[in-house]
Amino acid sequence: MSTTATWQSRRPPDLTTCLVWSGALAFALAMLIALGLWIAQASPAISEYGQTLVTGQQWFYRHQLFGAAGMIYGSIVVSLLAFLLATPLAFGTAIYLSEYLPAPARPWAKTAVEFLAAIPSVVYGLLGVILLRNWMADFLSPFDPLSGDMLATAAVLLAVMILPTVTTFAEDSLRTVPAAQRLAARALALNKSQTIRRIVLPQAWPGMVGAALLGIGRALGETIAVFLVIGRLDNQFPDHLFNPSLLIEPGQTLTSKRGGPETHIPMGAPLHWGAILSLGLILLIVSALFVITGILLRRLQKTRS
Amino acid sequence: MRNPFKHLMHTATALSAASVFTLIIAVAYLIISRGNHAITWEFLTAESSEAGASGGIRWQILGTLILIVTSAIVAIPFATALALLHSFFLKPRSLSRRTLGFTLQLFNAVPSIIFGILGLIIFTRLLDWGKSWLAGGILLGIMIIPTIAIMLAHRIAALPRAQIESATGLGLRRGQIIRSVIMPQSVAALLSGTLLGLARAAGETAPILFVATIFSGATMPAGIKDQPVLALPYHIFVLAQDSFQDSARANLWGSALVLVAIVTLLSALAIPLRHKLHNAADHA
Amino acid sequence: MLKLHFKTWLIAALLAPVSLNAQEILRINGSTTVNPVVTESAEILKKENGLTIHVDTQGGSSGGISALGDGRVDIAMSSRPLNPADQAKYPKVKFHPTKIGADAVAMIVSKDVWNGGIKALTRNQIKGIYEKKITNWQQVGGPNRRIAFFNKEPGRGTWEVFAKWLYGKIENVPPVAHPEVGANEEARNKVSTSHGAISQLSAAWADGKTVFALAIQSDDGKIIPPTAEHIAKGDYPMSRSLWLITNGPPTGNAKTLIDFVISERTHDIIHKHGYLTLADLK
Repeated sequence: MSTTATWQSRRPPDLTTCLVWSGALAFALAMLIALGLWIAQASPAISEYGQTLVTGQQWFYRHQLFGAAGMIYGSIVVSLLAFLLATPLAFGTAIYLSEYLPAPARPWAKTAVEFLAAIPSVVYGLLGVILLRNWMADFLSPFDPLSGDMLATAAVLLAVMILPTVTTFAEDSLRTVPAAQRLAARALALNKSQTIRRIVLPQAWPGMVGAALLGIGRALGETIAVFLVIGRLDNQFPDHLFNPSLLIEPGQTLTSKRGGPETHIPMGAPLHWGAILSLGLILLIVSALFVITGILLRRLQKTRS
Repeated sequence: MRNPFKHLMHTATALSAASVFTLIIAVAYLIISRGNHAITWEFLTAESSEAGASGGIRWQILGTLILIVTSAIVAIPFATALALLHSFFLKPRSLSRRTLGFTLQLFNAVPSIIFGILGLIIFTRLLDWGKSWLAGGILLGIMIIPTIAIMLAHRIAALPRAQIESATGLGLRRGQIIRSVIMPQSVAALLSGTLLGLARAAGETAPILFVATIFSGATMPAGIKDQPVLALPYHIFVLAQDSFQDSARANLWGSALVLVAIVTLLSALAIPLRHKLHNAADHA
Repeated sequence: MLKLHFKTWLIAALLAPVSLNAQEILRINGSTTVNPVVTESAEILKKENGLTIHVDTQGGSSGGISALGDGRVDIAMSSRPLNPADQAKYPKVKFHPTKIGADAVAMIVSKDVWNGGIKALTRNQIKGIYEKKITNWQQVGGPNRRIAFFNKEPGRGTWEVFAKWLYGKIENVPPVAHPEVGANEEARNKVSTSHGAISQLSAAWADGKTVFALAIQSDDGKIIPPTAEHIAKGDYPMSRSLWLITNGPPTGNAKTLIDFVISERTHDIIHKHGYLTLADLK
């Protein structure tokens, strides 16, 4: 460690060190340039429309209206609903895998969960368009949805997609709690359920919450599957905040918008193009919030243990 | 008084796990049962015809392979550099090392549509490449750099410090230490990280949708500019919006099954490598 | 090991075509209506002449025209005529449209709507549905069901033909949002699997079994269905020509393809997809 530093630093850096540093720096530079280009090309729209990009409820590009509130609402509602559907199942499964399942079965179980995670999003989209969409329309028909394309369908699909992510990360957090503690708890005559509730979970909760937040981050960023089933209806914004009726209506998210034609059309129109890029910035910021918090919580747990 | 709760938690979590596994089996069943009868040798090796409604998916499979091989070539050098930087050059528990690790994890979670639009900005507008397989390969490569780097960095960090110290004590320079001590023991991590990255890259649609793929006509690319490829994810994406003709539908599920099979195969190849890693870590 | 083989194979494969021929690739993009004819023609030409033709349909008619204007493709497929906005966006480009056939835009509905008695609509009724003034099929004599209007994406030729018929100019279209569909295929798929659904679609794509093309009721009460006869005569209001557009008059490989498409050899292909050939229009 420190012995290498003093002794090595007197010699000229060798080729490998140069390569490593230049490779890493080249990558970092490329990313910064990319971000810079993005912001530069988004800036005509940002300076022209300012905060109405975020708060405006009307997006009609032909009429030069670029308000993304409907899409932000769609993104958040769909991701939150997916979170609500997936997290209890994911946490329950993670606890079962970590605390109850006998050790020999564990690798098989983990492999099965990873199979679900490996399925490409376009295949989930396919399942959504051909199957889930019709099931949801039938299942919710008492509520008279317009069609099977709705926010709820996208949410259910996303829930299935983030389930393996949240389960795997949550299970990691549970496994980080040292086995010795579980043994000690047994020695104190605590049964399994109490051990979990009073010893394991209190220590694992930061990591588990982090897992859930990472799941939301993933849901926010999903494009293809959502694009196929959400209906792509702009400007859906509720009158009151907790009006659930929009859940069975079609909608639009920050990601589904960009899978559509408006990414191709505005090549020559800087304002429209800038507005589309601004959607990307909004998406990056919102998902970064969840992802950063998730990563920090998981690290918090690791440093504690 | 304790007993009801004891069973409650067991039952509740077992039910969750059971539901999840039922879901896994259901999804696998749906894909396999619908795609199964379309898979023939003819299907895998013939070209598409009638705009995807009949024929096979030869060029789509090849295009996907071209894209992921390119992405691996692009990603591995940079991922290795970043992993070495993180776990070998930077001091443990230093701020710069933790920041780098954090940034890599953050990068791993960037939505893939961002890479797609990035491709539009750089390759289409800035460089005017038209649609190019290389642009797709580069974008996918950038996307999987964090996946590979994180796995490799973990492995390097888990190597016993004693080895590195004795190597330094013997007079080895950094480059030599990397070549003779670190890398030989990290090959498994590099391979398994790459395989997982490739599995992800093979299935992605958003990064290649705008800059690398078209729906029909492309075969082997013969250059860089204006040389798109066909690819399985994009093929499925387009056909998913047309599931009308029965023959198109059969081809569609067949393509989906082939894609899932490729992705599963790549991930499965990584499993024995990861076992090796776990065992090595336990003995370290 | 496996990867090493791939790398060498890849490099060899890349070099081979480059050394064999520097043949130009014909790049085509645009309308999903014109696409089936062009793709099948391309497949035939490939077998006969070895021409490599790349076809894609991202962005529909407007996407194709934009790509042509940007120089990213050689031919744009379009199911709508060029309009002044296109030329204004690309002042230096000499758009040269070649007509290759015709079809019509129909309002298609799902089975439950058709069986519920809706076989024709007037222009005002369609306008009212589009502007969300009419929201239930009951209001136009159909079953009690919400109207699920799947609007074709902006930029689709089919949409522009529809919009021009209702409003005269695209600029006059009011700002209304509807759930969107992209390609013809998606429109048909969504309408056939939903209840109370209606969308704009190329008339030839309505099979009469799962989606049904409505007739237009003119102001004087005449019912005009979108059949070949009415399209050729021109009395169906949303008839439209199908175009292949080039930058300047077509040359080289583009000319080969376009000559092929307007020749008699594609008559079967065009009829197979339900469109009208140039000969039918005479």
